[in-house]
Amino acid sequence: MKSDFSPYVPRSATLVSKQELNELVTLFEFAQDSGKPLAHRPGQFIQVSVYGVGEAPFSVSSPPRTDHNNFELAVRRTGSVTNALHALEVGAKIGIRGPYGSYFPMQKFVGQDFLFVAGGLGYIPIRSVLHYMLRHRDEFGHITLLVGTRNPKERIFTDQLAEISKRNDLEVLETVDTPDHGWKGNVGVITTLFPKISINPETTNVATIGPPVMYRFVIQECSKLGIPQNRIFVSLERRMKCGLGKCGHCQINGLNCCLDGPVFCYTDIAGLGEAL
Amino acid sequence: MIAYTIYLPQIKGLLKKWALELNIYVPTMVEKGFFEFRPWNDQVEIAWDYDLCYTTLKKFILPPRENIIFFDMKKYSASPVTEAPKQLLFGVHPYDIKAINQLDQLMEMDSPDVNYQARRDNTIIFGLEPVHVAETAFWSSMNASKVDLGYDLYWTRISPGAFFVQVGSARGEEMLKVEGPVEKSNFTQKEAARRAHLKILAEAEKQTLKFDWSRTPELVNKFFNNRTFWREKAKTCLSCGSCNLVCPTCYCFDIQEEADDLLQKGRRYRQWDGCMLRGFAEIAGGHNFRDNAWERYRHRYMRKGKYIFDKLGELGCIGCGRCVKACTAGIANPRKVYNEIWEAIKNEI
Amino acid sequence: MPNKPKVAFFDFAGCEGDQLQVANLEERLLDLVSHLEIVRFREIKTIKQDNYDIAFVEGSITRPEDEPRIKEIRSNAKILVALGACATIGGINCLKNFIKESEYKATVYGNFGRWYSTYAARPLSAIVKVDMEIHGCPIDRNEFARAVKELLLGKIYSPPDYPVCVECKMAGNICRYEQGKLCLGIVTRAGCNACCVTEGSVCWGCRGLAPDANMDAAGQIMDEHGFSWLEAQDHLRLYFGYNSRL
Repeated sequence: MKSDFSPYVPRSATLVSKQELNELVTLFEFAQDSGKPLAHRPGQFIQVSVYGVGEAPFSVSSPPRTDHNNFELAVRRTGSVTNALHALEVGAKIGIRGPYGSYFPMQKFVGQDFLFVAGGLGYIPIRSVLHYMLRHRDEFGHITLLVGTRNPKERIFTDQLAEISKRNDLEVLETVDTPDHGWKGNVGVITTLFPKISINPETTNVATIGPPVMYRFVIQECSKLGIPQNRIFVSLERRMKCGLGKCGHCQINGLNCCLDGPVFCYTDIAGLGEAL
Repeated sequence: MIAYTIYLPQIKGLLKKWALELNIYVPTMVEKGFFEFRPWNDQVEIAWDYDLCYTTLKKFILPPRENIIFFDMKKYSASPVTEAPKQLLFGVHPYDIKAINQLDQLMEMDSPDVNYQARRDNTIIFGLEPVHVAETAFWSSMNASKVDLGYDLYWTRISPGAFFVQVGSARGEEMLKVEGPVEKSNFTQKEAARRAHLKILAEAEKQTLKFDWSRTPELVNKFFNNRTFWREKAKTCLSCGSCNLVCPTCYCFDIQEEADDLLQKGRRYRQWDGCMLRGFAEIAGGHNFRDNAWERYRHRYMRKGKYIFDKLGELGCIGCGRCVKACTAGIANPRKVYNEIWEAIKNEI
Repeated sequence: MPNKPKVAFFDFAGCEGDQLQVANLEERLLDLVSHLEIVRFREIKTIKQDNYDIAFVEGSITRPEDEPRIKEIRSNAKILVALGACATIGGINCLKNFIKESEYKATVYGNFGRWYSTYAARPLSAIVKVDMEIHGCPIDRNEFARAVKELLLGKIYSPPDYPVCVECKMAGNICRYEQGKLCLGIVTRAGCNACCVTEGSVCWGCRGLAPDANMDAAGQIMDEHGFSWLEAQDHLRLYFGYNSRL
């Protein structure tokens, strides 16, 4: 049997714009060459190919849009694919597969409050959820956003954060682990922001994404506030290679991060020794 | 059940006919005590009485390296590659058929793997009732001594010169009749095949799990947090992946690519990988979710003993004993590991 | 990296077998060379320039006066690539590190030993920062071609970090330990497609130790398979002389 279809074949997309977010992180805006929207949901990821160099998974950082076919990825320079992406000039092409994986169940959150806890690059996928909510602001209740970064130099989306901080329909708090001379905000790990917020644990859902070490502490704080486990959502990072639940690389105990994740309800992973 | 009786002298003629249509692989002795499936030709002596073929048969359906796409770096386009030569695996033991059945299901699940399926569709499997049991095998206690699907024909040697051939598919039956009508088996021949099965079963019972296989998931799950046990077991683990690579039910792979010398086109391919290898669970930036050999070691037993069970309702280990042989450190014996866990906690569960 | 990077080849103590492998790429070399400019390569041309972006360096450092030379190459090159076992892991030159200096000098130079300076052999990385390593004794020319292409595409080639056993299993070889032979594949970095074993020999370890090699286990396994420590050590020192606990 010869088949013309293979899930391994990427489609092409073109780099529309590029914006440096800090020394290592750049925001890329791509347009699908098919002219169709990406049709992703907040929290999903895509596989990005730079032919000759390789393929790597990235969370989509923009909210889903039906009005145009562009989407955004924020990428930190760490390996060969990310380096190659940084070297692209506007007009260059990439290959994409996906979107893949689980997502934040937005319908479930309608009418409810939301607490975002973003550590470092964790803000990249959170941004997709947050901006979806801001675009449908009247469907959701109180929104709180906590953003933690190692130091002021590593902050990303600073302009956008400054802008949404001005809005009176959400609360934004930021912190850095180690300040520099110019930093006037909160200093300390992200959990030091928890005493400063007021949320209703009865109606609040949490989305937390950050480095592996962060989750345990954030979840502890949430529990202290009285938020039940089934309303805490995390997105876990693994090295998805196939994105189809086959290659095994992203396995967390018996789950495939590419199919069952990357977005998990905490109750589904609380008992797994390899999750956090 | 439809079954025919085929006599040894008939087989060469059949093989010659089949060989016109497809590549045939048969078990043969490659070195004293070592058997492998090799391409058949007139000169090859089929090892009807082999105990275990040294490497796994998955290589015929999931090759060690396989192109999955070709890409064009200038046009930025890509096209699928599916290669699927017509082939016959003649002489596959039931535990190995079970392993392929399992791969069939896993590759079909969620998002069907087109490369695997194309090869599988073009692969004909003739099962063979074993007459010897490998020293390291324990398939009888892994529910793998008999399969009721996954073969086109199933051959049982009922006398030095005759085989009882059970039909598993129309395609298999057609192949059997390619040279004209063949003898339908009678009751005596069927009974002889049943006895042959019981005989080998008795031999296989020498090495077994000390408990019913279906309790394995519960056992390993209970032992997941026993770090001392896993650490101790994995102390001499070389992280060489041999146990993964010879395993007929392991199917993990890595994806890589290479551009051509003019840097205009290229190919992306997949190749066998293993969860025992150090970098398997590493993410960009270097964090490794199973950094220690014992964590990787544990993962393998969890996967064989529980995770696959959770998906399919059967264990991911079919008891062929290949890993037991392949592990130079002598620590990759699922039967031993599971039995030890059983001994340690049988009174608690 | 410029559009058409300039490439130079250098050698220290070694047999030039790796550069020979490069020359043996033959017609493939022409395609590869279309993306770069070779300014120095003794095996195929006589011209020598000191203006280069990528330096491929073969051989190990065996004399104090090698040091300033490799440091200069390092400072000229944007990318320094160690080529072959002598350069990446010290190679067989390190065998002399286990012999008295007077003894090997006498063996090699006879009565003229005092005319030559020498010290313990070592890989390039003992002296300078190495950006990329192409292992093997000799190197595999296909791997070399691949590494060069990846460099041109802006990627640093990283060789496999798992032991040769992986490739041996992929090749369908019968384990040498099953045949009662001593084989270093269990601790040696893969990337050679287990060529020596496939051709009927055993692994000699020319690609160096795999980064996570479990040497304690390897010692125990060799012992269990009936090899004396002396026998094992002899085998191990052939290539692992520089960096292992031997």
